[in-house]
Amino acid sequence: MVVVDSETATVLRVKGLLEFRCQLDSTDEQLVRNVISRTFETLRSQVKSESCVLAVSDSPVIIWPNKDAYATPEEITPSTLCEDMHQWIQADEQESSGKKSSKKKSKKSSVASVINLRLMTEVTKPGPLSAPILTKTVLKSHFVSVTLPLDCVVCTGRSDTIKEYVFYTKHLLIEALTHQLCEMEKVTLQNMKGMTLLVPEPVHFLLPEPKGLVTVVYPVGVPDSQLVAQRKELHQQFELPDDRPYFRRANAYHFPNEPYKDGYLRNPHLALTHPTLDNGKVYLVQGIYSYHHYMQDRVDDNGWGCAYRSLQTICSWFQQQGYVELPVPTHKEIQQALVDVGDKQASFVGSRQWIGSIEVQAVLSHLLGLTSKILFVSQGAELASKGRELANHFLTEGTPVMIGGGVLAHTILGVAWSETTGQIRYLILDPHYTGAEDLQVITDKGWCGWKGPDFWDQTAYYNLCLPQRPKVI
Amino acid sequence: MLTISIPSHLLRHRRATEICQCIFIFFWSADEPLDLSKLPAFLVEVLATVLLLLNIFHEIMGRGYIVQDDVEGYLSKLCEQKADPVTGLLIGQSSTQRDFVVMAIRTPQKEESAAAARNSVDKEWVTEHARQVSRMLPGGLSVVGVFIITDADAKDALTTLRQLLFAVENLISSEHLWDPADDDVTDCVTLHINPKTRKTVCRTFDIKDPKSVAKPADWKYQSGLCSSWATVSCSLNVDMLLPLPNNRTSTGNMEECLKEGLKAWAHQIESGLCLIDGKRLPEDSELTVGQRRNVRQTYTAQLLITTENKRLTDVIEQCGGSVSVTGAIHSRAYLHSNKPKARLAEKLLKRDVVSTVATRVQMMLEELLASDQESKGSCRDKQQKELFCLPHRIFCPLKVSGPLCVCDYQFSDEGLSEVTERLKEMLDIDAAEEDLDTRQEMTFEITGCDITPEPTQEKVEAPEHKKNYIGVAMATAVALLATAASMLYLNDI
Repeated sequence: MVVVDSETATVLRVKGLLEFRCQLDSTDEQLVRNVISRTFETLRSQVKSESCVLAVSDSPVIIWPNKDAYATPEEITPSTLCEDMHQWIQADEQESSGKKSSKKKSKKSSVASVINLRLMTEVTKPGPLSAPILTKTVLKSHFVSVTLPLDCVVCTGRSDTIKEYVFYTKHLLIEALTHQLCEMEKVTLQNMKGMTLLVPEPVHFLLPEPKGLVTVVYPVGVPDSQLVAQRKELHQQFELPDDRPYFRRANAYHFPNEPYKDGYLRNPHLALTHPTLDNGKVYLVQGIYSYHHYMQDRVDDNGWGCAYRSLQTICSWFQQQGYVELPVPTHKEIQQALVDVGDKQASFVGSRQWIGSIEVQAVLSHLLGLTSKILFVSQGAELASKGRELANHFLTEGTPVMIGGGVLAHTILGVAWSETTGQIRYLILDPHYTGAEDLQVITDKGWCGWKGPDFWDQTAYYNLCLPQRPKVI
Repeated sequence: MLTISIPSHLLRHRRATEICQCIFIFFWSADEPLDLSKLPAFLVEVLATVLLLLNIFHEIMGRGYIVQDDVEGYLSKLCEQKADPVTGLLIGQSSTQRDFVVMAIRTPQKEESAAAARNSVDKEWVTEHARQVSRMLPGGLSVVGVFIITDADAKDALTTLRQLLFAVENLISSEHLWDPADDDVTDCVTLHINPKTRKTVCRTFDIKDPKSVAKPADWKYQSGLCSSWATVSCSLNVDMLLPLPNNRTSTGNMEECLKEGLKAWAHQIESGLCLIDGKRLPEDSELTVGQRRNVRQTYTAQLLITTENKRLTDVIEQCGGSVSVTGAIHSRAYLHSNKPKARLAEKLLKRDVVSTVATRVQMMLEELLASDQESKGSCRDKQQKELFCLPHRIFCPLKVSGPLCVCDYQFSDEGLSEVTERLKEMLDIDAAEEDLDTRQEMTFEITGCDITPEPTQEKVEAPEHKKNYIGVAMATAVALLATAASMLYLNDI
């Protein structure tokens, strides 16, 4: 694993596919392992050889890390600042999460920029040459043909010149690549059973400060449930608490320049500026959730589906933190779950009936195996006194809270609360939004925004569902 | 905003280019679309008319082939032979900008043919000869047409030529491991010479279109044609490992595997990144930018490849063995001297890389099939493992001044005399053993590949547009119409 300090400015990420091919002459386990190891060794020397090339994506810069060579447009010389080089890298369309300014302010923002590099192989070389030889081996045997998905990250400091960049790539990235090949060899040999081989796959995880970005190699196709032992080791190695997951596949770090395929917005609250209260602190949801609201997924639930959407947001949180593998349930699936537990009649499925916090708790329990606490307030005005409890919830559990009362349901993503003055603000994610996934609109119009205590109906009673994290890794 | 782009085939006519340049020097540059909104309306009409005339003109005139003058002498000598008909191939380079013919090769005599058969054209023989010849041409040179020397009726000759042309080109392109590109020229030339009158009839056909009709073409001799052609070359590592299927492992099976493996490898090469003299040139830029013309130019290319296809499941399969091809080859491509584009250089070099490897493998397989048990250059290690040395590439310069060479492949148990024999028989070239360049492969010297990855300090000179006044432009517009008309009537371009 390569540990990288994420506080520094730029992350270099190398991705590439390397072909792994060999013939297994016999099925004897030791001989097979020898052949596999030898082939990995060949790949490692290929990465350290002069034919290994790194091409900076979306730019005309090409670097030979193992010899002092690079190809760049004529305007770039070795002493050009890397910052100026950034202009050669086309700005990617930012996925809609986060206005850039607030992202930089927030300490939690892990990386300011990512430079992607492609791993390539130069097939041309100057002499000496020997004409090709064709070798034919006839033997009933096995043939291994894999493409190894290499994916390494390395951090560099700011204001480096091209020369220093080349230095870093020379040493750090190549080291990272060879190290990853060693890890892959270990994982491959560990998971070999007879004549089946699992492909090793690197996954990146962002650990809490100061550990930063960490890369772990997992075997493809093995579900998280079978990798508990590995995760225990990792938790020990990185001195992480053993009651919450950090290394499940769902916890994989999402690089800022990669779009999300499903189209949902992630963490729209990060685009907001948080209120400052006298002697107050901000307590927020931890981790990543997606924003679910009216009219999504071609379901017209305008007017009745707000609690369902809040529930979906909560489910998305548990899925993306790696606690469950179940995809976010649809309205019908939620209704069916309630029928299954006996809470509703069979006719409930397909109807447009509302649900409340109690139903949300039941579904979280039945579908996702989660426990939730219910908080009851007899009057909306009382909610202001629940500051301490909510603050504690976000500190310890950090899960989104569903609140239902009056005729509306909302999701609470955090509170700003002052212990001394009792002032309180609520960070609300509103499921009643019917528009498109436009972060600008959602934050400007307050669909995700900070609300005061007068947001609630002062006379109605409210139920809050506070989902609890399972104590697992 | 109205924009037009001037079709490239019109730009081939030198006079047309110059005339266009005179009028539109304000706004025009060879590769950019012309912004018509900046011109007064009547000038737009003039432009439209001019282009229409030029297009008609071009249709009538067709392609123009510029031919090395040695070819004239060669064809003349063939005319003096008693045999009739004499067929042969025309070798050269066709690009969207220009068509060149550098060599003519007569079809070799078939020894066993009866005297009567000598007077007719043996289509299979001609096409087989073309296939062999095509293997002996480095990148940039290809069979661009066929000729026939006969005093038969012109129409019959044209029909024969058409048949031959399509057969030859279809066979050659069927052996290609690459897909045709959009900017490939698909017109090929036929030449009919009457040996008594020496009258030459030159026509082109579009071989992509089976119903293509003959279009007239220009045939012009020029000396020193190839003296300033550019050469792009590289030495390239090949490293392939392929499984053999589980059932039979005959040579036929090996051929299937190798073909598939070569196709996948060819695709990798085709999609690879190409650097020329250490630089990645923009596609439409000219190769010879900043160089003096008429100076021989050599460039070294580098190819960078990636693996595209992910293979994450079913990674172990049973097999009956494996076959590998490892080693290095020397590849080169020639480019005409009329402002060739970097994109063309890349395309021709990559195709040569693929075809030189494919040709050698094919030749080895043909040898194995022919000679059953014991094969050339094989050494039996154990019972199951066999090594075959693929033939290596030898270059032979053409007598014309200039860098052009043809090539041949020499098996390890052959001598140079066999190479010179083949060059005589297939390409009708008289070469001495001392002329042959055997140093490109099977040598431990540093060959002609200088890889200089440091960025050079050469400045690229941007072509400057001369500024002028609209008055002058208007005047030349009138002049253009007159010249266009004269072009049509006097047939002078």
